[in-house]
Order: sequence, then structure tokens, then C-alpha cells
Amino acid sequence: MTWRRLLRHETILALLVLLALFVLDRQSDKFFTLDNLFNQGRLMTEVGLVAIVMTFVIITGGIDLSVGSILGMTAILIGVFWKNLGLPLPVAIGLGLVVGTLAGVANGIIITRFRVPPLIATLGTLALYRGIAEGVSQARSVRGYPEWFYVLGQGQLLGVPTQLWIFGIAAVVAAALLGWTTCGRTTYAIGSNEVAARFSGLSVDVTKVAIYAASGLAAAVAAAIFVSRVSTTRSDMGTGIELDAITAVVLGGTSIFGGRGTIVGTLLGLVLIQALKNGLSLAGVKSDGTVVLIGAVLILTILLSNLFHRDQNR
Amino acid sequence: MTESTEFRAHRSGPARCVSAYGQEIVIACALVALFVVVSAINPRFLGANNVNTIVSGNAYIAVAAIGMSMIIITGHIDVSVGALIGVLATISGTLAVSGYPVWVAWTLPILIGAAINGVVGALVAYGRLPSIVVTLGMLSILRGGLVFVTGGAWINNLPPSFQLAQARLLGVPVPIWFMLVLTIAAFLWMRNTAFGRSLYAIGGNAEAARAAGIPVERRIVQVFMIHGAFAGIATMLFATQLKIIQSTVPPNLELTIITASVIGGVSILGGTGTVIGSTLAAVLFAAIGSAMIFVNVSAYWLRAVIGLLILVTVLVDMARRNREFRGSQR
Amino acid sequence: MSALVALSGVSKSFAGVRVLKDVDFDVRPGEVHALLGENGAGKSTLIKIIAGVHAPDSGTIRVGDEVLKAVTPRDAARGGIATVYQELLLFPELTVAENVFLGHAPRTGLGTLDWQAMRRTARQLLDELDSPDLDVDAKVGTLSVANRQRIEIAKALSQNATMLIMDEPTAALADADVRRLMAVVKRLRNRGVGIVYVSHKLPEIFEIADRVTVLRDGALIGTRPIAEVSEASLVAMMVGREIDHLFPKPEPKIGETILKVEGLTYGSRVRGVSFELRRGEILGLAGLVGAGRTELALTLFGITPATAGTIEIDGRPVAIASPRQARSLGIAYVPEDRGLQGLVKPMTVAENTSMAALGKITRGIFIDFRAEAKRALLSIKQLGIRTRGPAQVVGQLSGGNQQKVVLGKWLEIAPRILIMDEPTRGIDVGAKAEIHALMGRLAQEGLAILMISSELPEVLGMSDRVLVMHGGRLVTTLDRSEANPETVGAAMAGASHSDVAA
Repeated sequence: MTWRRLLRHETILALLVLLALFVLDRQSDKFFTLDNLFNQGRLMTEVGLVAIVMTFVIITGGIDLSVGSILGMTAILIGVFWKNLGLPLPVAIGLGLVVGTLAGVANGIIITRFRVPPLIATLGTLALYRGIAEGVSQARSVRGYPEWFYVLGQGQLLGVPTQLWIFGIAAVVAAALLGWTTCGRTTYAIGSNEVAARFSGLSVDVTKVAIYAASGLAAAVAAAIFVSRVSTTRSDMGTGIELDAITAVVLGGTSIFGGRGTIVGTLLGLVLIQALKNGLSLAGVKSDGTVVLIGAVLILTILLSNLFHRDQNR
Repeated sequence: MTESTEFRAHRSGPARCVSAYGQEIVIACALVALFVVVSAINPRFLGANNVNTIVSGNAYIAVAAIGMSMIIITGHIDVSVGALIGVLATISGTLAVSGYPVWVAWTLPILIGAAINGVVGALVAYGRLPSIVVTLGMLSILRGGLVFVTGGAWINNLPPSFQLAQARLLGVPVPIWFMLVLTIAAFLWMRNTAFGRSLYAIGGNAEAARAAGIPVERRIVQVFMIHGAFAGIATMLFATQLKIIQSTVPPNLELTIITASVIGGVSILGGTGTVIGSTLAAVLFAAIGSAMIFVNVSAYWLRAVIGLLILVTVLVDMARRNREFRGSQR
Repeated sequence: MSALVALSGVSKSFAGVRVLKDVDFDVRPGEVHALLGENGAGKSTLIKIIAGVHAPDSGTIRVGDEVLKAVTPRDAARGGIATVYQELLLFPELTVAENVFLGHAPRTGLGTLDWQAMRRTARQLLDELDSPDLDVDAKVGTLSVANRQRIEIAKALSQNATMLIMDEPTAALADADVRRLMAVVKRLRNRGVGIVYVSHKLPEIFEIADRVTVLRDGALIGTRPIAEVSEASLVAMMVGREIDHLFPKPEPKIGETILKVEGLTYGSRVRGVSFELRRGEILGLAGLVGAGRTELALTLFGITPATAGTIEIDGRPVAIASPRQARSLGIAYVPEDRGLQGLVKPMTVAENTSMAALGKITRGIFIDFRAEAKRALLSIKQLGIRTRGPAQVVGQLSGGNQQKVVLGKWLEIAPRILIMDEPTRGIDVGAKAEIHALMGRLAQEGLAILMISSELPEVLGMSDRVLVMHGGRLVTTLDRSEANPETVGAAMAGASHSDVAA
């Protein structure tokens, strides 16, 4: 993973992002307003948090399809803890985060201890966790959260939307971890050559479990933000978020086969996708149209990436 | 060593059958057990009307699972099949209300399904892209595309002759015929033709399959096309159930179909399993869903049950493989 | 008797390295022709050329009546040539009968597969191979390696093979299974099948071979009828009498015992091995492929923890259950397969060098990249690694330099015990000498080195003492003065110390 190769993909992506922003600005004068940009930032945060950790997951050569279900399950449980069990809201949220993390740990254990391929393991937990969300909520939604809670999803802190602070901090921490710490180095090693990593004495299994746990935690935090933003909890929340996250990560230059990728790339991918969504909606295209585009972008990206990096693939 | 031309089998026919089809037998037993237990609690469960609803109404899942099983046996997966069925249903309905003969509305989606999945298969086989990612992308293209084009509108005014699923042949609902005939035909085909066996080979050890002369890439495209065709047939049974066609499909239809295959004995690692298992499993799910209502357990727990079943099945499968692997190392 | 296949003046190079030099080789019907030679001698390449996997750079091949410049897999199939490789190409979830016939199954009149005929014929074939206990309906994944091999042979026979190439067929078999395989091979020979039997194992060769060909470093040393050779003469042909004085061995400064192993056992691969390793010593570990040397190393390194026996380091008993533990105890392992186990090829020299010793270049939780590069530069200089710099991707380096990077990685942890598994395999002569010089220097500085090697000259030239393993057991321990090609070679073939120290 040399700097040269890195720069190539990220630079192209950065140029694309600039191009997109430019086109969108020309297309609609509503685009480059602080209001709109902040709003887009809000919308991007939930997927963003999940995508940041998904970068780690995919670099190790794995995948986590259950993030959407963990999000939904956590959202429901926060509502249940608060409304049905009468716990104070901060405690309910904290407990929800714990549950989300544990759900991720369960994924990690199934994958490392029982050697189930990440694809099927998280496909199974996708169903299980979503099922728990549906079963516990019985399709009833919870409303009426206290005012202060909405600051998280709809309010501002020092003039910037609250969740963007969280997102920003998460991005910086993740980038630092991945690029500058032994944890990050281990992550890349696992994705490039897990056997050699093990033979070098790196703690492969512990790192994997930690990564999947973090994925669960990210989904849980996203849940709290989501609930706060839309002022309600429903069991179908987060459906499809795994697709958005994976697309952003892959678009950002992370190889689906593992061993390569950066947080910066994922962030650029996120921005590009959000810009696309925003542009299309400003042009009057319904949100379903953008969904089609995301899917097409995903397929095209991995196809091109595969063609250019044939020699890299294991 | 033995001069006798008579062939000695190590185990008798029935014994061999049991060991080869263990999972299928387990499911069949579970199905029987379910019916016995639930009707003991609530006798109306066994009523002819209910059984008919369970089996006939969900036959399309079993049919779609036939194609899905083939895909999984070759070692791949398709998470877009639910959306595909939704799209094909709308196409089917649109053809019907636009004055085309009913049989065209029924059969054209089969060809379209095969074509769309053929593209997916080509991307996977020749583009060497992981099937999970390609079909994940296809899922949103189809799902989003459907709503985008239809605007969310439902299709009404379907001609009565369109409703194939409500028809009966010799007193048995048509969907059940389809399910039974197709399952048996597919089973025999996968068991007794070189093409069918090559799917097991590719899923079991793609390199050895290549060495044995099997055209791996071509087969993968072909099996994806067959799977698309089965999705089209499933659409025939699905779209013709009601007098309207919605612009969406039952949520997570693809998950149900995949689960039917996995629990039916088709290992997610490829190379093993039969369509009889997946059909039985599909019926089992439908039965579980209905049973939960009759036993007054909220149907909202169904998905959790499904998830648990997947995990348990996969863990058992992995344990078996690890044990076999270690045993063969001695 | 005319040959089934005859090679004439065949040569082959891979990436500039000459693997086969002007080799003649032929196989007659109804004979077992053994192909003998150490690792890297060229046996594998030779059989792949016959099977049609590789094309020779020069020379001709006669298959039946046709003279060809190269064989394609189709020519091989037409010529009735079948190969049983070491890595078996079978389908674990399918039955024995189906595995035998996959790709060429008998059909019924309707065009469907004729299972009856398949099972019947598979049964016949297996009976002919003396395997009446092998159930044609069993799933191949449940069978032992010995049985799977028999299925591969049945597969070859089902395609009417007139010539069968067997590549190290007994490498993974236990003694009883080896005997059964010998019986099978004899039957096939008596039926007129021509068999190429590639192996290291001298006793087997003497039991079944009619002729034997010895390769060494890609060259044909000789082809002889079995009656004209003895174990001693074969060993001499395999390893050559000259011990090259390429090994500048400084006077060793051997200190106290640092590692003591008693009755070390891992399953059936490592059986009750006991030895001592002293500081400053280079202990050579010799043996044929499959003797259990790498398994011993992996047990000491914690990849496959011991199932019985004790390990003592500096006199204190330790339990080694993972590579991390081994590392913390000061044990380093330079693996046999450096591409898979030793290096992360897409990563740079610096990243690979620091991988086992990340603690040394971190400040808090952050990696100090400058320190990492500096240490890598130091390592590059000390080991003489030819590279553009710490930032070069390791995958671009030559074999010898890659091996130095792996060595450098482990030297970073300041190990006290260094296990090197085939340290100079696949490396050119110049780099070989450099690595040997490095090893000598390290030993002088007090490192205890356990060197596993299949190259007798290397073992004899570098070791202060030589351990020889056979069938998982330690057969003999020889001092440098007692060790020579005869004694070590004989021990490798299974003789014990009393037979050998004459």
C-alpha cells in the first residue's frame, strides 16, 4: 500500500467530488447555502458513522450486513428502556449503546470462534436482530421524547448541527486509529495476509471481534441520532443502511477483497453519494431514483476497481 | 479380489437414503411435529382452509427457493431476488391490463427474469465480482427502479382470467401443482444430469471442477439465468393471488427465500443440499408463521425465529465440517 | 519394449532460474520408474511437463508414436497419462463413486447419469485397488488421506490410464497405509500400467521400483535398474559427495543450554522428541519431507501447541500456546513458506520489518513512522538487503532479499532462540552465502539457532550438531565430527544411531 497508489484513487475521487459540488451549485442556487449544507450533513451522519467502521470491517476482508438491524434494534430498545421500563433517558441511551456493542461482539465471536464466514454470520444476525426489534416493538412506535433529546438530532452546538460534531470526532479518531496505530496496522495485515499476521504474533481474533463490536456501537450511536432526528422510534429504522455504507466505503477506494482502504476515501465517498442524492432531489427526482443510482454506482465501482487492480487480488 | 459380478453395496438402499438426506428428514419431521402440536392446542389449525392458505399462498416462495438453492449450491448468493419478483410482478400486471393475452403476462416475466439475472451472472463469473456485492447493488437498482417507474401506484383492474393462483386443477390449487412438479423435476434434474452435478462440483471445489473439464464461468451465468427464470415462475404465482398488484413486495422476501434454502440443507459454503429440503423448509416457515397466530404468539417474532434458525443451522454445519476436517487429518 | 513416454534433452527455466537441464527420461509399460531427488531437484517440474501443465524450453517428448515439442493436457489424456498430485482434487461433499466419475460419467439411454453403472464400476475399481472396505457411497470429506488417494487412483483408472504419475504419494500416509499403497502399485504394474513414482523414501523405492532416476539441481545424475543400486549409492547420487566450502564457519562459542525439550508430542506428527539447544550453537535438523521437522517447529512456536511433553527455557518450564507467547519468550520462527507465512507482500519493507515488534516503534498507541523507517534502514544495512528503501513493496524483492526481510523482522524482537525453516530454499547461490554468513555471525553473538534444512550440504556445512528426524521421531543426534553424507543420509532413511556411527 504505497502512497502513490493511494493518492491516485483518492485524488480522482476528490476531483469528482469537486466536480459534483460545482455542478450542483450551478444547477440550483439553493445548494450552497449553509442551511442546506448543514442539513445534508445531518442526513449523512447516520450512514457516515456506520461507514467509518465498515471501512475497518471491509479492510479485514469481512463484511457486516447486520448494521441496519442493530440500528433498528437499538432504536426500539431505547424506546422500551425509557418508556416501558421507566429508566431515565440518558441511562436508556447508554444501555442501548451497550446492547448494540454486544450485538457486534456476538457477530465477532460467531466469525472468529466458530469460523462462520462473515457474509452468512451477519446475514443471520441481520434477521435475528431485526426480528428482535419487531418482536419487542410489536410494530408500535414510541413518541414523546423530552425536548432536550431533540437537540442531538435536530439542534445545534456552537452553530453546527450536534451530530456533525459527533461525526467529526468519530472520523478523526477512526482515521488516526487506522492510519497511525498498531490496531490499524493489524487491520491491514489481516486483510492482506491473515496467516502471516498470525505468524507474526499479531492478535488477529481479538482485533476482529473489536472491529465488529465497534460496528455494532456505531450502529447504536446512529440509532440514537436517528431517533432524535425524526422524533420517533420504529422497528424498520435503518433498513438498507448497510447498502449505503458499503457503497460509500467501496467508492472511497477500499477493496472489497481487503487489505486496502482509508477513512479519507470513505468520507469522500460519503460526500459524493450525499451530493448525488441532494442534487437529484433538488432537480425533482424522487428518492427512489437515487436508490437506483447508488446501486449502479456500487456495481460500477467494484467492476472498475477490479479491472485496475487485478494483480492485487488474492 | 472378488470374482463375483454381483455388486455388493455396503449399506442397504433405505439406510443409504437416510444418511444422504438427513436434513430433509429433519425438516419433514419438524413439519409434522408442528402440525401435531399446534392443532392439539388449537384444532382449527388443521382445517382444510388454513392448510390450503399456508401451502398454496406460500408456494411461490418454495418455487423461488428452487432457483436460489441452485445458486447457493454453486457457492454464490443473490439478495436481489425479492426486488426482482416485485419488478416482474408489476411488468406482469401491466401487460395484463394493457390488453395482452393472459398467457403473455404470465410467461414474459420468466424471460425477463432470466435476462436480468444473466447480466448479474456475467458480472460474477467473468467480472470476478463477489456475488453479494453485485446483488446488493442490483437490489437497490430494482427496488428503487420499481418505485421510480410506477410512482408507487398499484395496479388495479386486472382481468379475472389473470388470477392463476386462485385456479384449481383436479381440486388442488394450481400453485401447489407448480410447487410439487417443479420441485420434483428440479430435484431429478440436479441429481441425474451432468449439468446438475456440475453445480455441486463448482460449489464443492471450483479448481477441481475446472480440472475435470467443467466450463465454470459459463455454468455460473447459466445457473443465474435459471434462477431468474424461477423467479419469473414464482412471480406468476405471486402476482396472481390478489386482484391488485402492489408496487412493493413482502418485506425481506429474499431473506425468507435464502433461509428456506439454508435451513433446507443447502450449505452456504456450497456443494451440498437439495431442492426438496428448501421446499419443505419454505412450507415449514409458512406453517410457523400461521401457527404463531393460532397459538396467540405475536407474529412479529417470526423474523427473530428465522434469524435464530439460520444461525443454528449454520453453526451446526460449521461444526460438522470442522470435525470432518480434523478427522481426515489423522 | 517401447516406451509409453520418452523425454529427450528437456530443459526448463522459471524466471531465469534453470530448473531442468537437458534431462532424458522414459517410462515403459508394466514398470515402476522411481524419480528421486531432494527438494528443488526438478522432479515436480518434470512430471508437470509430462502431464502437460508446463511446456519445456527445449527438447522433445514422445507420447506413444507422436513426437512433440510440448504436451497439452489433451495430448496427455489421449496418451492415457493420469496424474495423482499431492494436493488432491476431490469434492468433499460428493460420494466416492461420483468423485471417481465426475466429468466423464456413464450415461443411460435417456442421457441422464447412470448411477448404477457408476457405483458398480467404482466398486470394481476399488476392489482391484484392494479397498473392499471403501464404501462407494461415502462422502469423500469423511475419508482419511490414504483413502482419498485411492480414490484419485481409481479416478485415473476410470479414464483408462496406461501411465500413472504419482507425486509423493506416501508423504502424508501412516506405515500401514504405505504398505497397502505399495500393494496397489504392484498390482497396477502387473496389469501393464507404467508408473512414475516420485518420492524421497528409499525403502519404498527398493520395494517396488524397477528402475530409478536421480535428479540433482535440475540435472540428470543417472538412470539405473534397481538391482544395480544400493541405498548408499542412491544417497550419494542425491546429495553429491562434495561438501562445498561455501560455509565460512567461524569457531563457535557455545554457551549454556537455553532450550530443553523432553518428550515433546503433537498428535502423531511429533512423537516424543527430546533435545537441548545451547546458546551460540547452530543445531541442524535434517530429515526427509514428512519427517515432522516443520511440525516440531510449529509446536515450539505455538501454532500447534504440544499435546504432551515439556519445554524448558533457561531452566524454567513454559507452556507455549500461541505465537504471541512464543515471541514473548524470545522464540522467533522464520517460516518455510515465506510468501504465505512470513511476509505480507503488498506491504513495504518497513511495515514488514516492524510487524513482530510493533511495541518498539510506538509512542503510546501511535506508530512512530520515522522510527520505523530508521529501524528498517538499519536492518537493511545490517543484513545487506538489496532494496530501494524502507518504502519499497516487499513483493517486488527477489527471493533472497525477501528472506532477509523476514529474518530482519524477527531480529527486531531480539530473540534468544531462532528457528529457521529451510532458510535458503529458492534462493540464488550468492544470497545463500550471505544468509549463511549472517547465521554464523548471529550464532557468534550468542543466538541459539535451530536450522531445519533439506539440503544436506547446508546441514553438514553449518551445523555444530545435527538432529535427524524420521516419522515424527528423533532418530539420531550427531556431532559435527560424526556427521557426513552417509551417516546423515542413512539416518534420514530411518537408521538409528547405533547402525550409523560406525
